[in-house]
Amino acid sequence: MNLFKVIYTGANQAVELAGQLVQKAIDEKGKDASVSFPNTAYSLPVIYAATGQKITTLAELEGAVGVAKSLINETTHLQDALTAGLGTAVASEIIEALKYVLDDEPYKAPIQGHLSDAQVRSLGVPLVTGDIPGVPVIIGECKDSATAAKIVREYQEKGLLTFLVGKVIDQCLEEGVKMGFDLRVVPLGYDLTAVIHAVSVAIRASLIFGAVAPGDLQAHKEYTKNRVKAFVNVFGDINEILVSAGAAAIELGFPCVLDVPVPEVPTLLLYQPDHEKTVATSLEAREIKIKVTKIDVPVGVASAFEGERIRKGD
Amino acid sequence: MSHEALKFDKIAGPLIEKAKQDGAETMWDRDVAMKSRCGFGDKGICCKICNMGPCRLSPVEGKGAQRGICGATADTIVARNFARMVAAGSSAHSDHARSLLHTLHMTSPDGDYQIKDEAKLLSLAKEYEVETEGRDIYDIAHEVAEIGLMEFGKPFGTQRFIKRATEGRQKLWKELGVEPRAIDREVVSIMHSTHIGCASDMESIYALTVKSALSNGWGGSMIGTDVSDIIFGTPTARQSEANLGCLEENMVNILVHGHEPGLSEMIVFASQDPEIVQLAKDNGAEGINLVGMCCTGNEVLMKHGVRLAGTFYQQELAVITGALEAVVVDVQCIFPALATLSECYHTKFIATSPKAKMEGARYIEFDEERALEIAKEIVTEAILNYKNRDRNKVLIPQEKNKSTVGFSINTIVGGLDKVVNSNVDQLGTVKPLADCIMAGVLRGAAGVVGCNNPKVAHDNSHLTIIKEMIKNDVIVVVTGCAAQAAAKAGLLQYEAKELAGRGLKEVCERVGIPPVLHMGSCVDNTRILRLVTEVAKYLGVDTPVLPVVGAAPEWMSEKAVSIGTYFVSSGVDVFLGTVPPVTGSARFTDYLTNGLEDVYGAKFTVNEDPVQLAQAMLDRIEEKRTRLGI
Repeated sequence: MNLFKVIYTGANQAVELAGQLVQKAIDEKGKDASVSFPNTAYSLPVIYAATGQKITTLAELEGAVGVAKSLINETTHLQDALTAGLGTAVASEIIEALKYVLDDEPYKAPIQGHLSDAQVRSLGVPLVTGDIPGVPVIIGECKDSATAAKIVREYQEKGLLTFLVGKVIDQCLEEGVKMGFDLRVVPLGYDLTAVIHAVSVAIRASLIFGAVAPGDLQAHKEYTKNRVKAFVNVFGDINEILVSAGAAAIELGFPCVLDVPVPEVPTLLLYQPDHEKTVATSLEAREIKIKVTKIDVPVGVASAFEGERIRKGD
Repeated sequence: MSHEALKFDKIAGPLIEKAKQDGAETMWDRDVAMKSRCGFGDKGICCKICNMGPCRLSPVEGKGAQRGICGATADTIVARNFARMVAAGSSAHSDHARSLLHTLHMTSPDGDYQIKDEAKLLSLAKEYEVETEGRDIYDIAHEVAEIGLMEFGKPFGTQRFIKRATEGRQKLWKELGVEPRAIDREVVSIMHSTHIGCASDMESIYALTVKSALSNGWGGSMIGTDVSDIIFGTPTARQSEANLGCLEENMVNILVHGHEPGLSEMIVFASQDPEIVQLAKDNGAEGINLVGMCCTGNEVLMKHGVRLAGTFYQQELAVITGALEAVVVDVQCIFPALATLSECYHTKFIATSPKAKMEGARYIEFDEERALEIAKEIVTEAILNYKNRDRNKVLIPQEKNKSTVGFSINTIVGGLDKVVNSNVDQLGTVKPLADCIMAGVLRGAAGVVGCNNPKVAHDNSHLTIIKEMIKNDVIVVVTGCAAQAAAKAGLLQYEAKELAGRGLKEVCERVGIPPVLHMGSCVDNTRILRLVTEVAKYLGVDTPVLPVVGAAPEWMSEKAVSIGTYFVSSGVDVFLGTVPPVTGSARFTDYLTNGLEDVYGAKFTVNEDPVQLAQAMLDRIEEKRTRLGI
């Protein structure tokens, strides 16, 4: 497998799809229809951080497709492959933004979709203090629900903030994994493009806590690489768009661990078929060291459970 | 004369100017005196192997002399001349290794030479099927040395180390009948077959050439590297500096120049001896400053971090600084001109090897039996010469750069271990390197090796090619004077990663290495051979499949011809930056640059323009990637 070729193919597919969807939205709503994510001062955060531009209308969103396209420059250099991955990220943000244009409430609880600035800000202290030692982003469908739940619970017990994208959400729901922003398990959405809401959190961390200037993409990449201890777990089959999204994750400094074979890149792109080792592999790849004092009690104990509400029925 | 050299090099200009004032002659003067080089020799169509000649053939087909007196064609004459170059190169490397084996044979627990890397000795003993259980390490060493020495002249069998090659290579060499037998025998074979009235078939002469080259790469040089590591320690990563700025104003400056580490290692110890250091102080110096040049310089650099004065072409410039108390030499690549040049200054030019007595030099024969004692004698002579330095004639260029060196395979694999995820992979393998290449993060690897040659701008070709490689995410390993050119230019520093493409830069940052790895002296090219082989074995392929290339951008010596030939025969494409004397035979030239690919899966490419040569290397790497589907 020519890995770069796969990345370029996926990025092209993503950008093309974004272009088509923007056209469709314009046909439906007109060029002047307004575009925004709810409860954020950062417009479309990824595009804003990368270019310094705030997108307000569908006409401007159409322009953003051009930005995404311009990131795809097919050469044999890693830098260009990773930049093409960012093209997929921008395309994903466009596609997700369209969901909010076409529907007042595209995501319904417990599915989160876009996170508010208030939610991002509330992460500031625990991320800095290491109370949240890392941010796993789990994508896809695990071989079985029990395994998915086991891995998510393990992250949860270690206090990590886990984002879920795809069928793994249903697998975790099926196994009764308690979810919610306060519980540090956040189901983002079923489409792969929903992963951008996790990227959006990292990027806004850079804008808010890092005070990195919008438009200084290089500085944003450094901030996310050095300060946001995120990483990606992919379960199940991969396609070109997913691989190109993975390239974006790597460009932001987030290693990816997959359970299907890929051309491996040490520390960045790893194949770990053994789900018993997924967590350990991921934490080591992101250099997350957690000192665990295990308290022998019959329930899970972690700061992740701090915001838990005991309902009448429970 | 290559005037570009002076523009490019901040050091050569002022020192050549100084040489003129001092009445000293340099290679640049002699290059001018040479005027244009003989076209017949340049094309390899001059033959002097018998006294019916010298014969020279017309370079134009169908016009003028087309055959020598004996009837030898241009194809035969060119192939014979090329073969003899390889034989000479192989003999130089192999004799070097032979000396080291003799030194291994005389190691003793309380002697001057001891075993520094027992693990490496034990692994070699295992390979040589020497009993090691419950035996004294020195008994093992002596038996290993004897077996090693037999590799030079054993009557039957082939070189033991060819078993280290990929299965594909071993099979191919057997099929082609080019498995190297005894090292000396292959040299003799060439001398015999290239005698008047012997072999005239071009391809069969080349096959003999391959055998001799392989007996070097997978014989002499490989033994030399292993044994040097056993006696003096396997190199580990360390810091040093390079260029003539390493000479010190107020210290006794001693330059070790040549190749064999047996001498230079002892000079290192002698110059650190407290009594000797005190003697230097008593003579008004602040201490002893040992610096190296060429491959002996590389040896002590890799193993002790001794600073580099410079590359091959700077040997005269070093003397012209007027700050050298002694130039201590052994064998190979030492300008005979240093004798007369030293007379212009207080510098003592000290020859030490009976294999390389130099006219006009002070001769102190180096005897391994009294190694340290003789080394002390040499250093003492340098110290006593300190008072003779004419301060009015001193010009030390303030140019030097930091470097990280010592990248043996052990160092490299140790570095790669840093990026191994303990939940996924084993430590101690080349997998991370293979992965980076397969994924495309690194497009490939290039070995840049070889000499300096006044036919091209000094160091310019080395540096142009190295920079072009790393910019395009090709990791570079270097040896010999190419490595020293990189060291002087600061490319062996971690910070040089900024000149690399994103992929290589990422690798440098994660592994903690510079983008250009110094793997040692010219015999240490075998480290490169082994690294490539390890990667091929890991991936289960033969060497020609890999996106790996070798370059000798400024090669000049016969050793370089032998090295190039063993690399091509081992399946690694070789790119030459100076034209070998073969162009008088269109057929032989075509054989080297095209025909060999069908036989060995690799070939030579020649181009004196370093930018074009670099592009050809990159193109070849991508071609091999495409073939692999990666």
